[in-house]
Amino acid sequence: MDFSEQPHQTEIRDSLNKILSEHCSQECLKKYDSGFKHDEDLFSLLSGNGYLGLGINEKYGGSGEDLYDLGILFERLGYHAAPLSLSGCLVDVAQTIQKFNSDSSCNKILGSIIAGEIYTSAILEPSNQDPENPATSALIEGNELIISGTKYLSELASIAKNILVSVNSDEGVLLVLVKSDQVKLTELSSTANSPLFKVDLESVRVDRKSIIHEKGKGLEALRYLLQINMVMRSYFALGVNEKMTSLIASYTSEREQFGRVIGTFQAVSHRAANCFIDLECHRLVNQQASIKLNTSLDCENDALVSKIWAANTSHRTSYSAQHLHGGMGVDKDYVLWRYCLLAKECELINGSASQNIDRLGINITTNQ
Amino acid sequence: MLIELNPKQLKLRDELQEYFEGLFTPELKAELNLPEYFEGGGPEFKKAMRTMGSDGWIGLSWKKELGGKELSPIEQYIFVETIMRTGFPFPFLTTESVGPMIAEHGSEWAKEEIATKILKGEIIFGIGYSEPNSGTDLASLQTKAIKDNDGFLINGQKMWTSLANFSDYIWLATRTDFEVKNHKGISMFIVPTNDPGFSMSAINTLGDVRTNATFYDNIHVPDSHLVGKLNQGWSLITSQLNLERLALVNHGPVEELYKDVLKTAQATKINNDQYLSDLSWVKHNFAQIHSGIEALKLICWKQTWIMESGQLNMAEASVAKVYGSEFFIEAYRLMMEIIGELSILKNNSEFRILNARLERMYRTASILTFGGGTNEVQRDIIAMAGLLMPRTR
Ligand SMILES: Cc1cc2nc3c(=O)[nH]c(=O)nc-3n(C[C@H](O)[C@H](O)[C@H](O)COP(=O)(O)OP(=O)(O)OC[C@H]3O[C@@H](n4cnc5c(N)ncnc54)[C@H](O)[C@@H]3O)c2cc1C
Repeated sequence: MDFSEQPHQTEIRDSLNKILSEHCSQECLKKYDSGFKHDEDLFSLLSGNGYLGLGINEKYGGSGEDLYDLGILFERLGYHAAPLSLSGCLVDVAQTIQKFNSDSSCNKILGSIIAGEIYTSAILEPSNQDPENPATSALIEGNELIISGTKYLSELASIAKNILVSVNSDEGVLLVLVKSDQVKLTELSSTANSPLFKVDLESVRVDRKSIIHEKGKGLEALRYLLQINMVMRSYFALGVNEKMTSLIASYTSEREQFGRVIGTFQAVSHRAANCFIDLECHRLVNQQASIKLNTSLDCENDALVSKIWAANTSHRTSYSAQHLHGGMGVDKDYVLWRYCLLAKECELINGSASQNIDRLGINITTNQ
Repeated sequence: MLIELNPKQLKLRDELQEYFEGLFTPELKAELNLPEYFEGGGPEFKKAMRTMGSDGWIGLSWKKELGGKELSPIEQYIFVETIMRTGFPFPFLTTESVGPMIAEHGSEWAKEEIATKILKGEIIFGIGYSEPNSGTDLASLQTKAIKDNDGFLINGQKMWTSLANFSDYIWLATRTDFEVKNHKGISMFIVPTNDPGFSMSAINTLGDVRTNATFYDNIHVPDSHLVGKLNQGWSLITSQLNLERLALVNHGPVEELYKDVLKTAQATKINNDQYLSDLSWVKHNFAQIHSGIEALKLICWKQTWIMESGQLNMAEASVAKVYGSEFFIEAYRLMMEIIGELSILKNNSEFRILNARLERMYRTASILTFGGGTNEVQRDIIAMAGLLMPRTR
């Protein structure tokens, strides 16, 4: 057993912190409170410095397949509230293709992702509680697929040339890359102003070759995609929660009321300690899930545990932080508020704690 | 024992419901949807306030001889509940706490000029208690009012002065004696916001609720603007806060939202043969919200019943405040879980549910846990007054 990070991982964390703290000051973040939330310069910088190759095998030009490395990237993006939404590109597309596609197109796609081309995914559907069973359908006609349906919460779809969509067909579930100029995009407006889109597919015709996996592997690939997305988004939440907890510690160590620092009230220090406990649990289950995903393509229960902790910790830490800050916590001139918005998105995207607890309960009691 | 509203109270509720439906013109509804008018202050809001004034719906809690309706606490609760269910930003603090205090403790000028206009719905107050360094420890406030020949000279800064951007006066807590213990040197003033020494800057908050930093630079007010006796302001503040607390945790709005979410879940198809409300975890969430609302309603009703008999029970008032404020956060969370990812979409977005009310509510919910007396202090009171435990610290 060894819970320590490898030296190169600590190095990734430190250098990411350096870049991100320069580009995510209050002044910088303010620019993205409305409008399209995507910092192109920062994105190019990450690409130029090789960070988009984290979690990608060296043979494709990446820095190695360890998913914990990729987790560090998402954790730091969360910690700095960075205006970058990269799970569609770096997780859904890159990781699923890496694991399920063995032909030459894989090489090409991963290479261009590392070089800074944005791909994205469109997996979730409004009111569909079961993303493994998409309502979006593909009719198979000879060598062509004709896809129809509605997806939503697709990240950065307006600047991605290719969108990975999940569909149901006579051959079961398929993951297919479609060109973004074949679909209709509508920008959605979300609580943390994330760049999310609705994707309408109306009889979109694509070649069979756009299916990214071997025949018969669609469901397995989609399950993997959903799980790794949960785990990587939970890393993002981990960074958000770590930041909120550190703000609690620093603020309550300075703010005085009744002639004393409020952190010296036991109720205050205990509530802060509870956030620390939550954070530690969240971190550990997250680490376990990502390490298991390194060697297994299916560990749904670990992904669910990680998501459940991420959701609960995000909720509790956000409200503890607001409460312990008093009015300052909700003042938009102070740093906390953006994290509270992100925490809500982390909590609810990929399903809430209640929904995922239900799912985990079903898995456990049916020995899955 | 009898735990229900009596026929007269039920009639009052129906009457109020009908009245507010009439008051809520489409123009007023449209105005209240504009972010700058969420808290009121727009022309339609002002018009509605005046109508309510002339129809006698302001001053419910005031004594009859002061021109009020002298409703019982339970009737007042019903009033607050009904109006909050509509979503109208009724300025309760002005009409039901500052108003009656001015009517009772104000100078002749204040009684005639201010109290009557409050009753007519013509005047709104902002509450100037908190300061940058005085929040929970309100008694440490430093804004000063110094006596001179014909009045007082006021200097200082307040924080979080809500409604100041459209209010006519500030109900201002000042220090008038620096030699005595904190709470013994405080006096209350009526300060006009059109004084050249008054200024403010906006504070924008997470919940898109605007509040303000307000500045008082050599504002001179005559003696008539002092409310209550000099250096006796603390008791006015605490009795005002006691009154406020119950109104803050009224069960009306959360129940209204719960009903709407329930209807939505029952009407949302999640696949060919199931509705959202068919899922067992969704049922579980609804049951939790429902049982939570029942408790909140009963806590509040019991509190009003105790108040009718004239006793204010410290521990029970704090129970209502702590339980209510923390339950709201939990209830919004459970409702957002049910609606799922759709509930993070904002009011201008496609797919938004229930005009994104949940998306807005979750952002405002924390304020009640630290505002109106932070919950740690309320828990101290519960342990002391409810359980007779020794004082903490
Ligand atoms: C949107 C908004 C509107 C507001 N409107 C008004 C208004 O109109 N007028 C007005 O006067 N004020 C207003 N307020 C201010 C509000 O009353 C204060 O925020 C509140 O009193 C808490 O003070 P504070 O923010 O300075 O927090 P602090 O006093 O700094 O407290 C922060 C936290 O410290 C801890 N703490 C403090 N004291 C103790 C203790 N003794 N024991 C244990 N823990 C403790 C608690 O966790 C508390 O939540 C408003 C605030 C907001 C955010």
